[in-house]
Amino acid sequence: MVPETLNAYIGLSAALFALGFLGVLVRRNTLVIFMCLELMLVASTLALVAFSRYNGTMEGNVFVFFILTVAAAEVAVGLAIIVALFRRTQTIRVDRLDTLKR
Amino acid sequence: MDLSLLQHLAAGNTWGAIRPELALGCLALGLLVLDLLFPKRAGGLVACVSLAGQLAVLADVLCHFHSVWLNQDTFNGLLHPSLAGQAMRVFLLLSSILVVLLARVTLAKHPAPRIEFYHIVLVVTAALMLLVQSNHFVMLFLALETVTVGFYILVSYFRTSTASLEAGLKYLILGALSSALLLFGIAILYGVAGNPFLPGHSADAMRYAELAQFLTLNPHNFLASVGIVLVLAGVAFKVGAFPFQIWIPDVYQGAPTPVTAFLAVASKGAGFAVLLGLVLRAFPSYGWLVTPVITAMAVATILFGNLAALTQHNVKRLIGLSGVSHAGFLLLGVAAAPYAPLAVGAIYFYLLAYLIASFTVFGVMAHLAGPEDSDQELEHYAGLAKDHPFLGAVLAIGLGSLAGIPPLAGFMGKFFVFVAAYQAGMHGALVVAIAGVVVSIYYYFGWIKAAYFEAWKAPAAGSVPVPTPVGKLFGLVLGVLALGSIVLGFYPGPLGHWLQW
Repeated sequence: MVPETLNAYIGLSAALFALGFLGVLVRRNTLVIFMCLELMLVASTLALVAFSRYNGTMEGNVFVFFILTVAAAEVAVGLAIIVALFRRTQTIRVDRLDTLKR
Repeated sequence: MDLSLLQHLAAGNTWGAIRPELALGCLALGLLVLDLLFPKRAGGLVACVSLAGQLAVLADVLCHFHSVWLNQDTFNGLLHPSLAGQAMRVFLLLSSILVVLLARVTLAKHPAPRIEFYHIVLVVTAALMLLVQSNHFVMLFLALETVTVGFYILVSYFRTSTASLEAGLKYLILGALSSALLLFGIAILYGVAGNPFLPGHSADAMRYAELAQFLTLNPHNFLASVGIVLVLAGVAFKVGAFPFQIWIPDVYQGAPTPVTAFLAVASKGAGFAVLLGLVLRAFPSYGWLVTPVITAMAVATILFGNLAALTQHNVKRLIGLSGVSHAGFLLLGVAAAPYAPLAVGAIYFYLLAYLIASFTVFGVMAHLAGPEDSDQELEHYAGLAKDHPFLGAVLAIGLGSLAGIPPLAGFMGKFFVFVAAYQAGMHGALVVAIAGVVVSIYYYFGWIKAAYFEAWKAPAAGSVPVPTPVGKLFGLVLGVLALGSIVLGFYPGPLGHWLQW
């Protein structure tokens, strides 16, 4: 891989990461926030794979499998919490969840 | 396929080195089996088996404290057993044992299922123990995520309580955000340190030692700096340092009391062990970046934690925000660690004193909590010392130690950390820290005042939850913890000596 290609991949990865980060901060719907979190994980994954190919070491590729597993576990628990919360409060908008004092 | 490589890798897997973690994992599975075999009376049985098992593991760790694998990499560099790691193992086991004891009190007031709680506590403890010994970023990330996902479940454990679920959701969103920051930082460090066009590039760039070597040869690499800052931000979130402390009050208030204690002590303690490992072993040559960042974070954390705690009326939020300020004091020690040899021992002493004092206070909180666990106000403590002298006395000792009143252990912890910071020449930060201690005495004494001098304020009977009677075992534990605060304060000598490495 030539440096220009690496730059393109890392640029894309950074853009996706920034998009996800802003989404978490700005959006109010829990499910959209959750998707933005996944976007951030995927952006890191892309960076790892690109670096792994460029550096010629396999570690980054192997790490990606672990990250996918972790992300799956996180989603499973997260969606369970969201469903349980929706059953009690009938809303998943973070600005309406204010039982706890601010 | 090259079998000799696989054989070489397998030979590096010294399973004996992680015996305590394996035992905890097996114990966790055993609890589930126990529930299947005796579904009727598993509730009390499981807690006892879990306690006995953890005590056995603790005895094993203490008996083999200077184990044969100390200071050599195991699992091909994934783990690095050290004396600090052994001390943290003891610390984490102590806190998980105390969490199980607290859970027996709190879970008795709720209809929530029992078994899973004890199961997840054990899994999280095992992951924390691996986390504090990690020597490789893959290990760090995976152990941290196991801990975090376990905590998502524990925080939202009372699923009939909106407060608990809401706290779980907030912890989930902000925890996942911080994990993503950490991961992106790891990816950048891996990419930079493995770049074949840079001097000292490494084939195994995620290992601390090789990364440190690369960083020494490239002392001002911009991308590496970005990666380091992102990694530090991810860990700072877990310990609740400013500006990543926003989750603390809400999550601490909503989580069940034993989980709040677990988060406040075990998760935070492990976070500091990780931070020390990173600062001392992975990023030693980037002191020009790491030291100012951590010092600034420490100062801001002390200021924010203490000032925000002043206005709180809910004791869970109060202890959360005061925990933020404790994180600030500990960060001061971390910032001093590369320059003052005293600092590492001081941090571990501080953590031990913090564990003892916190669990004393949480023990009292668990007994005073009503059926709605998030609703624990300062007013509920009015007249406590008159009606329940033992709980009142224990609470005063615990809070006094947290505030840092001279003869108690908390004072010695703060004193050692401040001396280390002074040796490292951080005079400005030290002034802020001492001012912070003074402020903290004000709100801790507000709590003690409520328990001792405001009996006339006590609301009419029935409007506040009645404290649970203290069981024999728990009374003993509370007494030992309170005594521990006093003894460690008067005589920190052997421990301070023991913690020198």
